[in-house]
Amino acid sequence: MPDTSNQVRLRVRYKKDGRLAYLGHLEVLGTINRSIRRSCVPFAVGNGFARRIRLQFSQALPVGASSAGEYYDLMLTQRLEPAEALRMLAGATPTGLAPNAAAYVSRKLPALEAWLNRAAWEVRMPRFVAPHDLDATFSQLRDAGELRYMRGERQKRIDLTSALVGWDVSTEGEDLLLRLDTRSSNNGSLRPQILIDAALAKILPADGDAGPARVPLRVCRTGQWHEEENGNLVKPMPSQEE
Amino acid sequence: MRLRREDLYHRLEPLLGQVEKPSRYLDHEWGAIEEQDGPFHVALMYPDVYEVGLPNMGLSILYSILNKVDGMSCERGYLPWVDMADLMRAHDVPLLALESSSPIASFDVVGFTLAHEMACTNIVEALDLSRIPVRAADRAEDDAIVIAGGPSVWNCEPVAPMFDAVLLGDGEEALVQMCACVSDGRTAGKPRAQILLDLSRIQGVYVPSLYDVVVDDSSTRWGYAVPRPGTGAPEVVLKRCLQDFAGTDPLPHRIVPYMDVVQDRLAVEILRGCCRGCRFCQAGMTYRPVRERPAEQVIEAAKEGLRITGHDEVSLTSLSTTDHSQCAAILHQLNADVRDQGVRVSIPSQRLDSFGVDMAAEVGGSKKGGLTFAPEAGSQRLRDVINKNVSEKDIDVAAENAFRNGWRRMKLYFMIGLPTETDDDIVAINKVADHLLEIGRTVVGKGPKSGVSVSISVAVFVPKSHTPFQWCGQLRLEEVRRRQQLLLHTCPDHAIKISYHDAEVSLVEAVLSKMGRAGFDLIYTAWRHGCRFDAWTDEFSFERWQEAAAELGLDLEDIASTDIPLDRRLPWEHTSPGVSKGFLKREWHRAAQGVTTDDCTMTSCVGCGVCPKLGVDLAIVGDRHAGHQ
Ligand code: SF4
Ligand code: SF4
Repeated sequence: MPDTSNQVRLRVRYKKDGRLAYLGHLEVLGTINRSIRRSCVPFAVGNGFARRIRLQFSQALPVGASSAGEYYDLMLTQRLEPAEALRMLAGATPTGLAPNAAAYVSRKLPALEAWLNRAAWEVRMPRFVAPHDLDATFSQLRDAGELRYMRGERQKRIDLTSALVGWDVSTEGEDLLLRLDTRSSNNGSLRPQILIDAALAKILPADGDAGPARVPLRVCRTGQWHEEENGNLVKPMPSQEE
Repeated sequence: MRLRREDLYHRLEPLLGQVEKPSRYLDHEWGAIEEQDGPFHVALMYPDVYEVGLPNMGLSILYSILNKVDGMSCERGYLPWVDMADLMRAHDVPLLALESSSPIASFDVVGFTLAHEMACTNIVEALDLSRIPVRAADRAEDDAIVIAGGPSVWNCEPVAPMFDAVLLGDGEEALVQMCACVSDGRTAGKPRAQILLDLSRIQGVYVPSLYDVVVDDSSTRWGYAVPRPGTGAPEVVLKRCLQDFAGTDPLPHRIVPYMDVVQDRLAVEILRGCCRGCRFCQAGMTYRPVRERPAEQVIEAAKEGLRITGHDEVSLTSLSTTDHSQCAAILHQLNADVRDQGVRVSIPSQRLDSFGVDMAAEVGGSKKGGLTFAPEAGSQRLRDVINKNVSEKDIDVAAENAFRNGWRRMKLYFMIGLPTETDDDIVAINKVADHLLEIGRTVVGKGPKSGVSVSISVAVFVPKSHTPFQWCGQLRLEEVRRRQQLLLHTCPDHAIKISYHDAEVSLVEAVLSKMGRAGFDLIYTAWRHGCRFDAWTDEFSFERWQEAAAELGLDLEDIASTDIPLDRRLPWEHTSPGVSKGFLKREWHRAAQGVTTDDCTMTSCVGCGVCPKLGVDLAIVGDRHAGHQ
C-alpha cells in the first residue's frame, strides 16, 4: 500500500456556464477527470483496481443548469502553490468549466457532497404568471410541508419546511426572476424545477391530459455553503478568495 | 439550394432542453478545431449519432488532415437522434455542422462515412434534414458536392445515386486532392458537370453519374456499370492505397468528448490491413496489403496522446492488433510506461491462440467481462472452408491459458449459414462450447462457485462483395430459424448461454450488399416508410422494409438468397480494391474443397493481386510468426 499520509487536499472552485450548462453530472465528472490528467498537476490515484484519480465533487447540478460556483476536492501528492495549481488546471479545462479559485483544506473535512448543504439559486422564466401568485403559492407549498413528485417512474418526497429556506420573486424585463435558498440533507435536496413545477401546477389550469406544459427555465446555482448546527454559514473556500 | 453560411446555434439552443443527451449537440470539446476560416469549407458527416460517430478513426484522420491544408477548413456533422431530428423539422432548423453551427447545406463539400449497409437510410435522413437534394441528379449548380468514402464503399451502387463522387480506399491524400479539385473548379467558375469529370480523373474516385447500368445475359438482374461514352471515366476504378502508412500522423484522435461515447478512450491505429484471408471477411480483402507502424512510433504516439487528451485508457486498434510483428514489445513497454498514472492499455478482440491470450494477460484489465474469441465455425471442416486458420488445439490451448490466467467467462462468436454448412457443423458449435467449459472446470474447479461460463453469440452470415463468398446466397429465414432451434436443442449445459443476432437485420444487410443501383429505390422507399437508425435494435423495423419492398414489387428473401453463377458480371466489379477476380474464384474453389490458404505476412505471397496491381507492398516492421509461443 502506498503511503498517502503526505497527500494534500486541494479545493477548486469552478463555474459551469454557456453551452456546457447542458452537460449532465457524469459528463462534468468525466471532463474534469481528463482535464486534471491533461493539466499534469501531481494528482493522487486510488488503490482500487481501477486506479481512479482521488477526487470528490459537490452535489450534482441538474442538466441544463449553470453555476457560478461548483467545487471539487483533489488529492495531490505534492504541495504546489495553489495559484500554480489553478493556472495548470485552468489551462487544461474547457472554458465552460473553467476553475477560478483554489486553496488547500483540511483532510479531515467531510466529503463535499454532504458538507455543502446550503445553496442559492437564480431562476429565470417567461412571465406568464403574476409574481405575487407565485409568491403566495410558494408559501402554501411550504406550509403544506411535504412535497411529492415523480422522478422517472418513482415517487419521491421532500420536506419543504426544511429544504426550502427562503425565496424572492421579482421581475426583470420580460422575465420573472426567482431567488431560492435551499437546504439539503440525508433525505434529499430540492431542485428548483421541482418546486416551480409544483407551483405552476397549482396556478395554471391543467393542460389536457399532459398536465401543465413544461416551462423553459434558466437555472443557475449562485452559491453553496456549509451550514453549521447553529445556523452559521461557512464559505467553501477557506482563504481570502471570497 | 445552397444555404447561407451563418451561425444558427441560437435556433438549436432552445431545443436542447427538450432532448435526451443534449451534449450530443454542443461542440466546443477539448481538441476540436474552432477556427473555421475557410474560405473552402468541408463538412464530414458520420451517419449515426454523435457518440457512435465521434470515435471513428477515419473521420478523425481526415478532419485533422483537411484542417491543416491552407485555405481549407473541416467541420464535423452527426445525425441527430430521432427526438432532435423531429424537433428540428418542427422548428424548421436545418442540420448544422458542429464547429460553426452553420447549415450543412452551406458547405462546399459534404463527405459521408459509409460505415456499414445499415446506415443507408441515415444518409437519406441526413441529406433531407440538411435540405440538400437527396439525389445527386437533382442538385443545383451551386449545391454542395456530396461525396462518400469508408469501409462500406465496396458495393456502393445502392447508395451511389446520392453521391456526386465516391472515394475508394485510403483517404489521407485522395480527399485533399478531391477537395482541391472542387475548390479549383469553383474558383475557375467551372460548371458542376465539369467538376465531376475532373474528379473522375483522380485515382480512386468513382463518379456514379458518369456510368450507365446495363442489364444483360452476362449479368445478374442488377446489371453492371459501364462508363458513358465520351466521359473518359475509367472502366474500373481502382482503390487508393497509401504505401507509407507509417509516415502518416499516428495521432489524429484528439477530440475529447464530454459525453460517454462508444469507445471512450484514446485510439492509436497501429497497423492497417489484415491478410489472414478469412473468406467471408470483406475488410480482410479490401484493406490489403498489411502496413505496420514501428513500435517506437506507436509507444510515443500513445504517450503523447494520453498527455494531450487526458484519457485514462489507450486502445491499440486495427483489424488484427495481435498480429503486429512487435505486438508483445509494444504492449510491454507501453504498460510499463503508463501504469503508474492509472492508465490502461487495451486491445480489441483476441487472436484465438495462446499468443492472443498472453497479450490479453499482458494488458491486464478487468477479467470480469470475460475473454472474446471468434472461431466463427464449429467444426474444423467448416473452419477450413472459411479459411479461419485455427485448429481445435489452438482453441483448447488458448482457453486453458485464459482460465489459468484468471478469466472465468468466455464469449465465442459464430456464424450460421456459412457456405457448405450442415447440421453437423451447427451441433459442433455446442461441442466447442462444451469442451471449453470442461477445460474451465478442470482448470478452475467444478461447481457454481467456480464461475466458469461460456456464452455463444451467433450471427447470420452475410455474403459480401469482393470476397470469395460474393457469389453465395444467404440462408433463407426459415432455415436460419430451424438451425437456431437445432443449436438451442442440442445445447448440452446450462452454463452455456446462446444469443442470436437479429436474422432480419442480417437479411436486409444482405439485400443491400447484393443489389445494384436499383437498390436505391428500396432504401429511399424504406426511409419514406420511416426507416432510420436501422442499426439500432429498437429502431429497426423489418415490417417497414417489407412494406417498402412490396411497394416496389421486390422480395427481400429472394434477393438475399439467390446464388450468382461464377461467370456473371457483378454489380460492383467497376469499383475494385485490387484483389483479382481470379484470386477470389480460386479461393472459392479451395473453399469448396476445404483447402486453406496461408496468410502472406507469415509465409509468402499467395497471389491476391493487390500488390502488383496497385504497385504497393507489405510493410511489416519485424518478423511475423503464425504460431507465437
Ligand atoms: S482475421 Fe479474418 S476476420 Fe479478422 S480481419 Fe483478418 S481476415 Fe477479417
Ligand atoms: S499481393 Fe501477395 S503479398 Fe500482396 S497482399 Fe496479396 S497475397 Fe499478400
